[in-house]
Amino acid sequence: MREEMVVASSLSVTFEQHKVLDGVSFKVGEGEVFALLGGNGAGKSTALKSFLGTVTPSGGSASVMGLSVASQIDVIRQKVAYLPESVMLYGHLTGVENIEYFLSLAGITSAKDKIESALKRVALQQDAWYRSLSNYSKGMRQKTAIALALLREAPVLFLDEPTSGLDPSAIDEFNQLITTLASEGSTIFMVSHDVYGACQIAHRIGLLDKGKIVGMFEREGDNPIDTEAVHASFSKRNG
Amino acid sequence: MISFSDLKREAAFLSKQRYVVFFLLVALALSIFSVWSGVAETRAQIDTIERLLEKDAIDREDALSKQSDYGSAAYYSFHLTYSEPSPMAFAAMGQRDIYPWKHRVRMLAIEGQIYETDADNPELSFLGRFDFAFLISVLLPLFVILLLHDLRSSEREAGRFDLLIVTAKEEKQLWLSRALTMSLALALVLLIPFLIGVLVTGASATEIGLMLLVVLGHLGLWTIITLFIGNPKRSSSQSSARIASRLLAVWLLFTVLIPVGSDTVINELVESPSGGEIVLTQREAVNDAWDVPFSETWRAFLATHPEWESKTSMNSQFEWKWYYAFQQVGDQKAAELSHGYREATQQKDTVASIVALFSPPMLTQRLMSSIAGTNISSSLAYEQRVRDYHASLRSFYYPLLFNDGEFSHQALSGMPIFGESQANEAESSD
Amino acid sequence: MSVIKQIMWDEWRYWQRTRLAITVIITGVVLIVASVIVNAIGIQHAKHEREHLQHAAESRFAEQPDRHPHRMVHYGHYVFRTPSPLSIIEPGVDSFTGTSIFLEGHRQNTAMFADQRQSSGLTRFSSLAPSFLVQVLAPLFIVLVGYASITREKEAGTLNIMMTQGVSKRHVLTGKLFALLGAGLLLLLPMILASLWASFRGESSLVTGSYIVGYLLYILVWSGVVLGVSALSHKSSASFAGLIGLWVVLCILVPRIGSSTAAALEPSPGKLEADFAVLEELRKLGDGHNASDPAFEQLKSNLLAQYGVETVEELPINFRGTVAQYSEKKLTDVLNDFAEIRMQEELSQAQIARHFGWLSPAVAIRSFSMIVAGTSLETHHRFLREAETLRFEFVQSLNKVHQDKLDYQVDMNRSKSAETSKAARVDASNWSVLSSFSFVPEAGGVRLVQGGTYGVQLLFWFGVVVLFLNLAMRRMSE
Repeated sequence: MREEMVVASSLSVTFEQHKVLDGVSFKVGEGEVFALLGGNGAGKSTALKSFLGTVTPSGGSASVMGLSVASQIDVIRQKVAYLPESVMLYGHLTGVENIEYFLSLAGITSAKDKIESALKRVALQQDAWYRSLSNYSKGMRQKTAIALALLREAPVLFLDEPTSGLDPSAIDEFNQLITTLASEGSTIFMVSHDVYGACQIAHRIGLLDKGKIVGMFEREGDNPIDTEAVHASFSKRNG
Repeated sequence: MISFSDLKREAAFLSKQRYVVFFLLVALALSIFSVWSGVAETRAQIDTIERLLEKDAIDREDALSKQSDYGSAAYYSFHLTYSEPSPMAFAAMGQRDIYPWKHRVRMLAIEGQIYETDADNPELSFLGRFDFAFLISVLLPLFVILLLHDLRSSEREAGRFDLLIVTAKEEKQLWLSRALTMSLALALVLLIPFLIGVLVTGASATEIGLMLLVVLGHLGLWTIITLFIGNPKRSSSQSSARIASRLLAVWLLFTVLIPVGSDTVINELVESPSGGEIVLTQREAVNDAWDVPFSETWRAFLATHPEWESKTSMNSQFEWKWYYAFQQVGDQKAAELSHGYREATQQKDTVASIVALFSPPMLTQRLMSSIAGTNISSSLAYEQRVRDYHASLRSFYYPLLFNDGEFSHQALSGMPIFGESQANEAESSD
Repeated sequence: MSVIKQIMWDEWRYWQRTRLAITVIITGVVLIVASVIVNAIGIQHAKHEREHLQHAAESRFAEQPDRHPHRMVHYGHYVFRTPSPLSIIEPGVDSFTGTSIFLEGHRQNTAMFADQRQSSGLTRFSSLAPSFLVQVLAPLFIVLVGYASITREKEAGTLNIMMTQGVSKRHVLTGKLFALLGAGLLLLLPMILASLWASFRGESSLVTGSYIVGYLLYILVWSGVVLGVSALSHKSSASFAGLIGLWVVLCILVPRIGSSTAAALEPSPGKLEADFAVLEELRKLGDGHNASDPAFEQLKSNLLAQYGVETVEELPINFRGTVAQYSEKKLTDVLNDFAEIRMQEELSQAQIARHFGWLSPAVAIRSFSMIVAGTSLETHHRFLREAETLRFEFVQSLNKVHQDKLDYQVDMNRSKSAETSKAARVDASNWSVLSSFSFVPEAGGVRLVQGGTYGVQLLFWFGVVVLFLNLAMRRMSE
């Protein structure tokens, strides 16, 4: 058994008496790409945030790399990278400056060429690197944040709707990158409502509805997960 | 804990934020203005005192040279008293625009002279001065609120909050180092002009140290208040504007409501004789003396000055010693009221010092003017010095008047001068 | 029209639902009502006290026994300044100037016993005066209520919806402006009622009318500023920060910077210093107590010639009294010259500070309010001048009594013995020469003229805001 990197056991989250997550359990192993799928309000973002410590569970527990979120969040945060749904960085800084700043927040000093090679890797056009971020498109911001995540060299990546708002070619580039990262040993936990995209890259997919896991799909061999099956299950719930 | 590198990182970060830089530049300009106007005003006061001293000496010399008896000499010679601004006064002008810092007195009843005020332009006093103490006590909290209220909420509103705290090594450290950097930058721009001002006027190291302590203490307090109210655990979904509104309410409470409310209560609580009563009493006493038998004046006078008992015989309907005796008696009759008046001022000040404990801006302002020697106590102390000096004039002239000696200008050269070894010569105050 | 009304109603409903605005408005109104009440009671009390003291001083003077008239010149008299009706709203410089003056021969004393000298020192920045609350705090309240009036519609996307439904920007801005003005009027209401009361207590209705109009303009200016900034901002937080910054600058900074600038640019030498110059002038006049002072030779020979006699003893009048009158007149002329110079200095100093009204509406309304309410420096100077007129009048009347009713020989022998001293007196009935004093500020029309410049400043601000709103309307982003 591969090492368990991200574990939720009977995780529940309540907001103002409303159960957003209701006893959710799953495990994500090392080098695995795990996608949590669900419609609006299914609780998938809340599930993701439970691992980052920005949402406090009302029951159950969440752990990352064997560390409990409840008690060791500061240690966890040094080992994970996070890509928010809508990446917002500092408009008054350039792309490179943004990365430098966020890295130094994490206590990392990276040489310029290392940052530049990361930006090259995520395919951010070169003429934008030293331009103010206020002129970036959503996709460009997304790429900058992915470069940041790469430079963190974090074993675990949390991605919140990573492909929403990206154009098709950017999505392809992104998917390729994720697959490579996973093959290099990174664990990837993503939440999405994009059934097709998730099936392309995920090793496993959990289907979340009204705060509960209602289905689990796994890749068999090298073939992508059957989109049809997931879709059927998904639209039955969200029909 | 916050390390130096955290501060360096945030400083570099903030220096690229145009809004913050602009804000700090404005604060710097205001601080420069406050220090400049403070230094200019204290300079003007020192110059005024110098010029007055010169004119005063010439005028007295001139007046004395024309006299041929001690009584007229005392009647026609005025004496300048003054309270110089301390080297720190430029930073906190305090009450110096309302309480007088210069008086010219002569040996007539002091109660008839001491309330004359050569005060500043009342309209300017009403508008208030923009001194360093005002900048620190009233405006600094507003600066801190404007800079720090959205420390966290602005990141939330800009959608960077989660990324920031997930990326940062320690969340608390991030906010603290940011807040600290901003506070320190603010302290820097506010204090640099002040320190230059101090170099110009030459205040003592202790005073500078105390002043810095007060400024940093007030800044620290408002930083803490702002961080506390802006804490997302207390107001997770609060918008920046809501947090700032709350902070402004706190500012309003501390800066306006508590002082104004307490002032109203204090004026009700502390009974004070009306000032008019004092001067009326004194005037009646002095004027009645012309109509009452001499013996009555002498009785009252000798009660406090028994040493002149054998020298009270009168050869005429008017003698200077009798004239000054009833002036003294006039003071004695008004003494109780005058004491009560000063005591009430003192008492109000004491109560205000307790109230100030509940209003950090007031406390700051009071501490600063206390360090600068421009508070009410200092003004009362100056008034006491004037009274002491007046008393020393009396003890100088009485032997000359009562002993009926030959008039000589030589004898007048020993006349006490305000500010010179006055403590030794002073008799008991009034 | 109904669109504007609809927008206005919607804004009020929003305030009511979100509580913040309604809390602010209620707090503001309660504060202002409290201050009007406390201040009105305080001023009424002071008014009665001073009227009483004035009365007492007058009857004391009249009750003095038979005396040498010159003794009464030195006995002197007190005058008290009774507050103007509108000072229940705008105490102005009153608490910083003395409220009573001791009047005596040969001297012009300063006004004594300013309230601030007997206060706790807590009210140097703020005061409970309704004028302070309306001039300084009301703008803050309007900011808190209205900073998001347009930005919230932008942030929620509702502005776009309104625009696509054919609502014009002008309608939106007008509706919101009326809503904001409504809030401002609520804050102003206690003050308006107090002004009407002042009107009832004897203030001319022209004055109270203009006074209210002045404050309405002020509230209008701030409502416009708040609305304009909100329209030009993309986010509520930016609008808020900008408006608070503007409030700090206009209401707190500029007035004080004006005052400090005036003090630094035109330092006044102070009365003490001017007194030396006065003294120099006075020495040339001679001592009025001493009729044989060579300075009065000319007067003497003129008089002797006029009455056709050889010596002063032969004059039908008391020469000492004549000299006293003559020298008091000369001395007063000198004193008045210097006093006028000093008042001019004070006034031009104040005017420098008041010019900052072109930089801040808060300074404009403050100057306007003080002058129109009759609590300005000008009115204080009027008090000083009236007191001086009274002083000169009663001193000269006493000197005339001295001249006409006291025999010269008797007067010259007054210090010989107790009997001669008693003989050198005049009847107490002569003390009725003192006329009664009751201070009233300048007539309403005069004050309005004096305050005209500052009314113009307010109108200037009104114009600026109209232009600003037009600009905001054109630039308003959606």
